[in-house]
Amino acid sequence: MEREFYSDFPLVLNYVARLVDDIDGATAITCAAFRQIADGLRHRPPGEGLRRADVFRAATELSRQSLRPRRWFRRRRSAQVSLEGFPQPEARRALRRDTVQRALTALPFEARAMILLRDFVKLSYDELAEVADVAPRKMVHALDRSRAEFGEIYDYIKF
Amino acid sequence: MTTSSFERNRCTRISPSAVLDDRLDGKDLEWARDHLRRCEACRERVEDFREMLLRVGRLPSAAVSAGAMDEAFALSIPERWRAQAGSRSFDIAPASPAPTVPTASDLPSPLRPEVGSLPDLLTELEREIFRDEPVQDHPTRLSPTPEPLYPAMAEPTEEIEPVRPTEPVQPMPFLELEPEPLEAVGEPESMAPAQAEAFSAPLREVPVDSHRETEPLEWAQEPESAEAEPPPRDVPGPVTSNLIFDHEPAFSFDPEAEAPAPAPPPKSDTAMRIAVGLGAAACVLLAAVLYEGGLFKPSNNVSSTAVKATASVHPSATTRASVSPNATPSASVAPAPVLFTLGNGVSGGTMFRIRPGTAVAGYTRLVFDIHGAGLPTLIVTRPDDLHVAVTFKDTNAAGAPVKGITSYQVAAVEPGVQQGADGTITIDLARAARITAFTLPATGSYAWRLVVDVHTS
Repeated sequence: MEREFYSDFPLVLNYVARLVDDIDGATAITCAAFRQIADGLRHRPPGEGLRRADVFRAATELSRQSLRPRRWFRRRRSAQVSLEGFPQPEARRALRRDTVQRALTALPFEARAMILLRDFVKLSYDELAEVADVAPRKMVHALDRSRAEFGEIYDYIKF
Repeated sequence: MTTSSFERNRCTRISPSAVLDDRLDGKDLEWARDHLRRCEACRERVEDFREMLLRVGRLPSAAVSAGAMDEAFALSIPERWRAQAGSRSFDIAPASPAPTVPTASDLPSPLRPEVGSLPDLLTELEREIFRDEPVQDHPTRLSPTPEPLYPAMAEPTEEIEPVRPTEPVQPMPFLELEPEPLEAVGEPESMAPAQAEAFSAPLREVPVDSHRETEPLEWAQEPESAEAEPPPRDVPGPVTSNLIFDHEPAFSFDPEAEAPAPAPPPKSDTAMRIAVGLGAAACVLLAAVLYEGGLFKPSNNVSSTAVKATASVHPSATTRASVSPNATPSASVAPAPVLFTLGNGVSGGTMFRIRPGTAVAGYTRLVFDIHGAGLPTLIVTRPDDLHVAVTFKDTNAAGAPVKGITSYQVAAVEPGVQQGADGTITIDLARAARITAFTLPATGSYAWRLVVDVHTS
């Protein structure tokens, strides 16, 4: 679990930051996703570690809920996590809002998640199908729609 | 893995994702290759998708230091699992101080099957698109020198987002998790026991410089006490779901609200409100006086002398009466100041389209597409503060549609006027603005272009 956490945490953090367009909230969501999966490990056979797809699924769901108004994330802001030593300014600079990020932000949430999971995180189709809860045979068409929409928005705002 | 539909007489038989993600095999793959060889529309779609895919794949990532990950590990993993794992038994490569941007060579191309018959237009397109905005819009860092600390935050300019993300109100059809573990995760003692409840007021009083970046060091030095947590009120929080980096995140906690310091005296707030109210009233009065004086009356773009007369601050009727006889267009009118002279002097072209839009809220971009062998001589002049005239020498500019081109900076674009061989387009500005202009050569599917940016001054 230790190795899985340390190898996946930066990737999940960057994915969540891109997904919610907010580096500050991404830390809390990422930690919450890992904790949620780690809490669920006691119901699994011993020796089974953190599954990557599970972590991304939990992170996606928590991100979606954080974007909803008047949910628990909004009412209870204590979920904010500030990591000492986390290079916040550098992260902000790395995740600044370039045109691609603005186009991603303008996408619907599920399309944004699908594009980021496939093209940014580079999950396999099987993992992506598990995270997005879409049948693998429908994944190509779902990705087609998402990418087409992303391309339209990008073409619109690039000038 | 292929579709069989036509969109607006455009072949969409090939699913680009299936091609790019290597989801085809056997006969499907052969058929797709054969179709791509013959169908230009599908080839373009696949190429477009490939560019999008590469752009997302090239997004830079924030580096996380080993210390931060240790802390996150302690926060995220329950104690019983941490006890099993013990301390970290391996080293983590130190986080690079600057965000790492992968080069083009090591990006997804090895993972994606190449479409051999298609040229890679990405580099050329990127150069073309980001030529004018190396700092603002380029997804990768163009300069080896470090940038200033988050320049977007350094100057808290008023920005209006042109595109608002629309978050679906209804739940997403996928990713339905049971709510029980979420509530468990949301418990303060389970995730961040030392964090105090911070959201205590429905409408946070925003200081004047609220757009300034919050200092993370101050957050770290905040005293953490769970006892200081005020009772959570069920109040409507900010309902916007448009979280952007430039603004204060809706998800972040408020350090002032978290600290158990006494509330600021209400007198200063009242004084501030009174001051702001008085200022607003003064602005209204000033605007009324200026309006009566004729400054805000719509100018007719007749001559510069007329504009000078109406721009007089003195609200006297005599001024207007005295200059009105001179307000007729005459040869004695001084020529409008020339802002830019661009182009290559090619004649015989046609300015056929004006594309409005912007990727940045601070300005409006107008792109003039020009058919022809090259760029004509382009003269951008400023007859007055609220008009910009673009003259296309030896070019037909009368046919370009101009309806509906409005924005915060642009009130309208007047139809093209042909004066002899020269065509002129006049841009009516909605407010005082700064003008920049440059040209772009014809590339790929793009024609020759003149780009005029109307910046909020």
